[in-house]
Amino acid sequence: MHLHKYEKIWLTFGLGSLALFLVIIGFAAFWKGTHPMSHIETIDPQNVEAHESFKPENLGLREVAEGKYAVNIVASAFNYNIGTDADGKPVKKIRVPKGSTVLFQITTKDVVHGFQVAGTNVNMMVEPGHVSRLETVMKNAGEFTVVCNEYCGIGHHQMFATVEVYE
Amino acid sequence: MTTGKSRKRPVIESGNPQTGINLKGTFISVMLLGVFILVTWFGLYALFLSR
Repeated sequence: MHLHKYEKIWLTFGLGSLALFLVIIGFAAFWKGTHPMSHIETIDPQNVEAHESFKPENLGLREVAEGKYAVNIVASAFNYNIGTDADGKPVKKIRVPKGSTVLFQITTKDVVHGFQVAGTNVNMMVEPGHVSRLETVMKNAGEFTVVCNEYCGIGHHQMFATVEVYE
Repeated sequence: MTTGKSRKRPVIESGNPQTGINLKGTFISVMLLGVFILVTWFGLYALFLSR
């Protein structure tokens, strides 16, 4: 079989790219731990309070170990319930130190919502009946807006919160 | 294939034994597209890893 010289170069380039991207998939999956956000864990969307993490008193930010935090959130149209502060007011802003490991755990009571901490890699779909989890290291300081990026209804644009990463 | 009256310029010889067509431009275009895809992909992956 005769192959043109350019075709040989192109095939080498193409096969090389294929091999490279397969290695990157392995790197992302096994070294960086990238995987789908919902872990086939189901929850009754009409009774999310029955789940330990989503009891009203367990919502919001808590430090689980030195430099490790967990944030439990219940999304609903059109709000992120991140618990209440000492005065009983709903929390709209969570603060974590730079470099800390934060586990976001979120579920929804009604429709599909999004949970994106804009400017970071935290970006998940929140589906009724599932618990979405994402653990990340907050590498960069700053104020990041949390937005819903799945159109959930008339008040979609009013769903937001803030994550502040301080030095 | 030549028609006696054709005034078209003859295809430039490239040494390709099968077609005789010069494929250099095609090759460069394809490689430029490939390089563009790789550069944009790695740019975005670097953004993902830095965040």
